[in-house]
Amino acid sequence: MSASPEIANSVILSAEMFIVLSPILLLSFGIVLSLLLIAWRRSQKMISLFTQFILAITLLLTLHLLSGELKVGSGTQITTLLNVDRFSYLSFVLICFSALVVVSLSRSVLKSAVEVHDEYYLLILLVVLGAGILVVSDHFASLFLGFELLSISLVGLVGYFREHKHAVETGFKYLILSATASSFMLLGIAFIYSQTGNLSFAVSSNVMPWSEQPLQVFNSVGILLLFSGIAFKLSLAPFHFWSPDIYQGSPTPITLLMATVSKVAMFTVLIKCCFSQNYFNNESFIEIITVVALLSMLVGNVLALKQQNIKRLMAYSSIAHFGYLLIVLTVSSLQTLEFAWQGALFYLSAYLLANIAIFTVLLISEKNRSNMSEDIHITEWHGLFWKNRLAAVLVIFSILALAGIPLTMGFVGKFYLLNQAVLFKSWWLIAGLVIGSGIGLAYYLPIIFTLFKDDKTLESKGGDGSRVYLIAIGKQLFMFTLLISSLVFGIFPDLVSQFIYR
Amino acid sequence: MMLTFVIFGLLFCGSLAWYTDNKSFLGVKFQARWVALVAVITFALIFVFSAYLSPLSFLTLQMITQVSWINSLNINYAIALDHLSITLIILTFFLAVICILVSWGEIQEKSGFYYFNLLATFVGIIGVFSAVDMFLFFFFWEVMLLPMTAIIAIWGHEKRYFAAIKFFIFTQVSSLLMLVAIIAMAYIHQQQIGDLSFSYQDWLSLELNSDIAQYLMLGFFIAFAVKLPSVPLHSWLPDAHTQAPTAGSVLLAGVLLKTGAYGLIRFVLQLFPQASENFAPIAVTLGVVSILYGAKMAFAQTDFKRLVAYSSISHMGFVMLALFSFNEIAYQGVIVTIVAHGLSSAALFSLAGMIYQRIHSRNLSDMGGFWQSAPRMGGFGLAFAAAAFGLPGLANFVGEFLSLVGAYQVFPMMVILAAFGLIGSAIYGMVLFQKTFQGSSLKAVEDLSCRELIISSSLLMLLVILGLYPNLVLQYFRGVIL
Repeated sequence: MSASPEIANSVILSAEMFIVLSPILLLSFGIVLSLLLIAWRRSQKMISLFTQFILAITLLLTLHLLSGELKVGSGTQITTLLNVDRFSYLSFVLICFSALVVVSLSRSVLKSAVEVHDEYYLLILLVVLGAGILVVSDHFASLFLGFELLSISLVGLVGYFREHKHAVETGFKYLILSATASSFMLLGIAFIYSQTGNLSFAVSSNVMPWSEQPLQVFNSVGILLLFSGIAFKLSLAPFHFWSPDIYQGSPTPITLLMATVSKVAMFTVLIKCCFSQNYFNNESFIEIITVVALLSMLVGNVLALKQQNIKRLMAYSSIAHFGYLLIVLTVSSLQTLEFAWQGALFYLSAYLLANIAIFTVLLISEKNRSNMSEDIHITEWHGLFWKNRLAAVLVIFSILALAGIPLTMGFVGKFYLLNQAVLFKSWWLIAGLVIGSGIGLAYYLPIIFTLFKDDKTLESKGGDGSRVYLIAIGKQLFMFTLLISSLVFGIFPDLVSQFIYR
Repeated sequence: MMLTFVIFGLLFCGSLAWYTDNKSFLGVKFQARWVALVAVITFALIFVFSAYLSPLSFLTLQMITQVSWINSLNINYAIALDHLSITLIILTFFLAVICILVSWGEIQEKSGFYYFNLLATFVGIIGVFSAVDMFLFFFFWEVMLLPMTAIIAIWGHEKRYFAAIKFFIFTQVSSLLMLVAIIAMAYIHQQQIGDLSFSYQDWLSLELNSDIAQYLMLGFFIAFAVKLPSVPLHSWLPDAHTQAPTAGSVLLAGVLLKTGAYGLIRFVLQLFPQASENFAPIAVTLGVVSILYGAKMAFAQTDFKRLVAYSSISHMGFVMLALFSFNEIAYQGVIVTIVAHGLSSAALFSLAGMIYQRIHSRNLSDMGGFWQSAPRMGGFGLAFAAAAFGLPGLANFVGEFLSLVGAYQVFPMMVILAAFGLIGSAIYGMVLFQKTFQGSSLKAVEDLSCRELIISSSLLMLLVILGLYPNLVLQYFRGVIL
């Protein structure tokens, strides 16, 4: 191979590369340690605390590296497999943060059962590792590695409560569909390799075999298959059919994990792949993106309209949101790449915060009611505003953020996306975004109104409506922080974008 | 500085009203309505005096405050005032007092949160009338929407959720179109001048390609036409007005609709003069259709508030017609119509609220013969109905007359058609009055209380003063050429 001397040089891990990669190394080390911990003593409390500790340290380390003098632009290349830049760090921060929240929230769910749930925590760490590999990957091999690590660990997690009604169905469905998606992706990668003879994202951008000439058949089919594999994970229409069922059937913290960690990681790698290979120069690729984006916006929003189950509703709304997010892939030139990244990361963080907030309240309401087996319907949030002000205000804010109303981060995210779309003059996508948001309001607003409804009728029936919500101080504090941060970042988005730009 | 102080002060007092409602401090029992009333009156006085004493001449836009807000996109917190915005803000303050007074007895439940929403809506409206950074403008545009929706959805009548969602979706979708236009303008500025700018004053100097200008103008126009509202984008209005609580209807008809007119004057006509002129025939046709359709629909209604709501569509048609005739007299007519309609529709909706409180119905067939038991209310009812159909001597007449006279020079045929709307307005005005106050007395109602007398007489007084001496407002708009 012609590139062999370069590879030979880069195989050695220099001190700088070691530092740059340290969050992921630390995470892997933590996984080994927690395995040892399990072998030493099986204690639910200990493993949970240890997992939180590992994630918190990783998060802090990543934040520290972000604030340090990190190379902007091309980032640090670590062997041909990995490339770490600011944006991967930022995505990793988002991932670690949501995983930390997931682990903290899981305790209340797991407490109710008798077993010691070591595997649960271990699997979550593996999911985060998979996501971490994805966000730094610069090569189809590492992409596939991360993808599989993420999917297989998630399969274990979605069916974790095996006595639950939907557990087997959910796990099985996810396993089959996820395996199908990854095999599609693998085939796509093989096709791309057959054309370019290289699996690295970066190298092919130097050669750019398809940027000037029209796509050859194998290459275009390859890209299409690769994209459909990723689109499956992002549950973009028409690859979305699994997501409502899996969202509904999984334990609530795992649903949150899927909605945040898995999607943020997949989207980051999608952007990385598309930007470093200049797919955006290719008109037919942009056309495909546009069609998928429009479909996702419409399908997600329209199907969410009649949903009464909050988890299913969130699944459909997330389909729509990733449809909106695809707008960032339609960049016009290399100069606007940074702006696209900024928009994507901002939108992702807004989406993430909103999801975390809604799922936190969802978990609290699940815990506060008598029967654990069934799913939460919107009607159970009846009059929440008059019962628990904090939880309700948090939900309202998050839903407004998802709907993209000013004062919230979601609006600024949408503003970025619209900027991007106007720059690229993609009027179809703009129309989709506008119409999609319009439809979206028709199911977001009723949720908010439900929170305000009086629950006199419910109380007289003696249902759960009259119960007072009991929330631990720690959780209240966490919810309060979420609320304040989403408000502050919504009004002063510079605080976030400075962090992204630096 | 003082405007910023007013904006944030009102917001703070809103939260204060929410927080202190029904709580005792130092032996004093606080009530949200008192906090709100005192706050609004205080800030109104502060605003009026500082505007009056200000050395600035408000003939053109005067920048009041400019602080950088989002650096990465060059967005500023920039507010400015001229006579137009000052007039509208004073109208807002006046109706704000009316709103609080009409809610005095009506809102019993969750009153703290109610007054917070009410004050937050005022904040949004005042912001809309003064923002000159387009991002900020959009921000306030949405901020006024949220609490308004909450007011409709929580304290409204039987079909409030449907009405609130409809209202929100209409305004939100149309304002997203405006947002796209705003972003496009910012990038055009970047192409021509070199840096991204959302400042209204910067945009005035742009030279737009006529095709692009046409589309961008349409983006703004749709957003404002929904708010105004103009046929065919009006269908949210009858529902929202009917289902809202009294103060909500007063606020919607009195000021919120005026933000649409304000937007047309300030942004559509100023930023895209050529494109607006090309679009004028369509806009004027829409205006005339609104006049006739609103009047026709109004006298077919059996619901008091719905009738008044359709009459608003009809009146706002005059604004559209006059604005797109690009004529000084017509423009003055627009200003008077805006103020007069703000007062007269607020009066009619307050009246509807007073009747609703007595008989718990808005249906005209449940009313009749109220004159016998409540002659004062009947007298005010007659005067307000007369104001709505444009009786000379009351402010609406001046506005509509000037509008028609001005527009006649440009679109004579359209004005002749529009004049038929005046006949329609006489019909629905009389229908409203007769069905409510005349005929056989179905039930006896209490006459106006002292508080209601204050509301009605202050509104009527202003309508008469403006009707007899319109120069009070017009002196500030002399020689303004669109």
